[in-house]
Amino acid sequence: MSKLEETNGHPRSPPSYAQLLETNNLMQNCGDETYWLCLTRTVQGSKLFPVSAYIMLSYLNAFYRYPSLLRKIEARMPAERIADRARNMGIKIQNSQLGWCLPSFYLLGREWLLSMGLLRPQDALEDVIYVMDFWKRFQLSWHRNDGHITNREFGHRAQILPDRRLEIFKSDMFPCQPGDELHAAAHTFMATASQYGFLISCESRISLHNSGPYRLDEQHELLVRDFMDLSECSLPWLDGVAANVPYNNLTVPMAVRDCHFSLVDDWGSFESEPAFTSDKLAGIGLYTSDALSEGYLPVGMNSREELTETFRMLNGILKTATRELWTRMAGWSREQLLDAGAIVYFAVIKDLAHVAGIFAVEDWLEIDPRANRFRPLLNDEFGNSVLGELVGAVSLPNQQISPFGMMQHSNRPARVFTPLPYSVLAGEDFVPSSGGIVPGESHLEPKADRYRTTQGLLTLEEYNRRAQSHTPAVCSDDYRFLCETWVKYHPDHPRCKELYRLERAHSRTLRGLEAGRPQ
Amino acid sequence: MTKLYVDGDRYGGAPASVLVEAVHNSVRDLVRRRLGESGHDWGTFVFGSANDLITKSDFEAIENRILATGHRFAWSSMLSLRDRPEIYTRADQADDVGASFSFDHPEAAFHTADDMGRELHGVGDNVVRHGANTIGVTGYIRTSERVIDLMKNGVPPDLIAIIDDSGGTLTAPILDKFKGVICAGGTVRSHLGILTREYGIPCLMNVKISGIREGDRVELETSATAKTAEAYQRGEEMTARIWKLLR
Repeated sequence: MSKLEETNGHPRSPPSYAQLLETNNLMQNCGDETYWLCLTRTVQGSKLFPVSAYIMLSYLNAFYRYPSLLRKIEARMPAERIADRARNMGIKIQNSQLGWCLPSFYLLGREWLLSMGLLRPQDALEDVIYVMDFWKRFQLSWHRNDGHITNREFGHRAQILPDRRLEIFKSDMFPCQPGDELHAAAHTFMATASQYGFLISCESRISLHNSGPYRLDEQHELLVRDFMDLSECSLPWLDGVAANVPYNNLTVPMAVRDCHFSLVDDWGSFESEPAFTSDKLAGIGLYTSDALSEGYLPVGMNSREELTETFRMLNGILKTATRELWTRMAGWSREQLLDAGAIVYFAVIKDLAHVAGIFAVEDWLEIDPRANRFRPLLNDEFGNSVLGELVGAVSLPNQQISPFGMMQHSNRPARVFTPLPYSVLAGEDFVPSSGGIVPGESHLEPKADRYRTTQGLLTLEEYNRRAQSHTPAVCSDDYRFLCETWVKYHPDHPRCKELYRLERAHSRTLRGLEAGRPQ
Repeated sequence: MTKLYVDGDRYGGAPASVLVEAVHNSVRDLVRRRLGESGHDWGTFVFGSANDLITKSDFEAIENRILATGHRFAWSSMLSLRDRPEIYTRADQADDVGASFSFDHPEAAFHTADDMGRELHGVGDNVVRHGANTIGVTGYIRTSERVIDLMKNGVPPDLIAIIDDSGGTLTAPILDKFKGVICAGGTVRSHLGILTREYGIPCLMNVKISGIREGDRVELETSATAKTAEAYQRGEEMTARIWKLLR
């Protein structure tokens, strides 16, 4: 075997031993968590969407396209810098999108192809290393303030936000209690937005996200809830039906009383002790953000009355949008349902491209022909069966290991993801990459050229142009590395005061006040 | 005979599902055949010529061979059944709802009426512990046509929806109008469980019921302890009861 031989235009030079060791560790961690999440978090089904079938199609699309798309994004903006931006806003590049979906969708596509004999473990070797490295760098940056790579590593917790933002969420939120108008309006809104989120995401939870908890005082904790892709955005089925939704992303900081969020996982789901019910809601705020905003912008936060009315207004708009979207989807063909589900899953990380200012419809809203050819296999029964084996039973032949093995959480001799073989360092041949993007197709209506942003309704060209030239002030080179450790030891430094002043520019209660030491 | 890399698997056996095994074996056969016919080495084939030599038509042929054995696929999306009825089994059609229809789980608990006239017809997993039990009148909601009907004509105020879809999309336009939910699938962490918790609607998931028909008055034991993640992980039973009210 010649290491200089070329395949698909990529040189065959093996990676280092350290690269392989690290990649396999990242994959194993993802695999362990994948099994736990699938075992404990949910059993899903839908009479409307062929969920398992579209999931399998999305995994293949991710396998063939993610490496090229991530490289394209990084040619414009590195993963860790995009994560710096994500850490300061509530858009669709958090959990589950980046924390779990990015690596797992890609690797589950690889695992299914392995099972069918269409791959060897060492094929697409450089792609696998690159995708996992991108994920690692993004995650470490996004989790910078809590010092972990995933919620799993932190004992299922995510403390993403900096002190300066949490001070504002706490200070600006309005207290509420069962029986008052704000409490009722906020509670109803969150239920309606959750319902709408499941619908726009074709029966998945990827438009919803929770992070935290954060300590407010001995009796209260803060959970930050994000509702994303609500308006006319890069999901074509929202064209028209979501035209009246005035914000694409909404973030709700929520204070709860006498309730501890014991688990916030890498799917963005939470559990609490005792169970969270609306009577425990004690304080609330509302914000929007996107790739063009200066971080979080308050929505209806000038007064308690305005916030109550804003929640009611949004609730009504989302109810109407839910009915119209449901009616549209109920009339779709199975091919359209399959495409929409596969695209919403595959494009779960598309906001990386929006932040980088290089979103393209042909990159994110089409099914690659290399994936699409498998469509005839994806009837409901096969989809349910193969997905169940891949992520639930972990029973595909390629997932079985030495009989001495004991998998985490199940003790069975199996693993979710097949490691890269070290034998490539001993001369075994490998193929570095699956190759570039191939033009794809979709049965859905073409995406209208309208994107709701915090700077208004924009064409894609304009959205990309503005995104390329926009950097929020706190993410600029002047402030990007003024981290929580530096702030701790420089509370009176002029740049620290300026950093807090920038963050407080839109705060109802802290705007214009100089940052001091916490009370 | 061309041999694939994965043919030398030391530990792997057959997949658990016969259908998955049949499909995957067919695909492996296809790959062996096309690789052999191509004359290429694997490195040239895998992301090169295989993209053209292994086609959608090949996978259609695999599906056709399975259908030719007489097998018909189990459906889960009613729109899959609507669009290609010829490939799906006709059993358990979603429109099997009439006055006499009921879910009949083989393990459904039953007990004759207690002194309050409550006849036990099954159990389920309580999503949230409420202050009281929930009483209402049942209605099966299993099709988009039924949802559209309720959108047009309104949801009765006491409706306890009986659903076999643990997702949150089928009933999306009307879910907030239900007095209670009985779901024959999922867990308390399924999307329907999450949404009923958000709305504050009493809900039992993963129910095993029998003999509850359209229009029955029922009582759900929503004051029971909610089932925990730990209980699911340990396989522990932690159930709430469902009674038909005879008076």
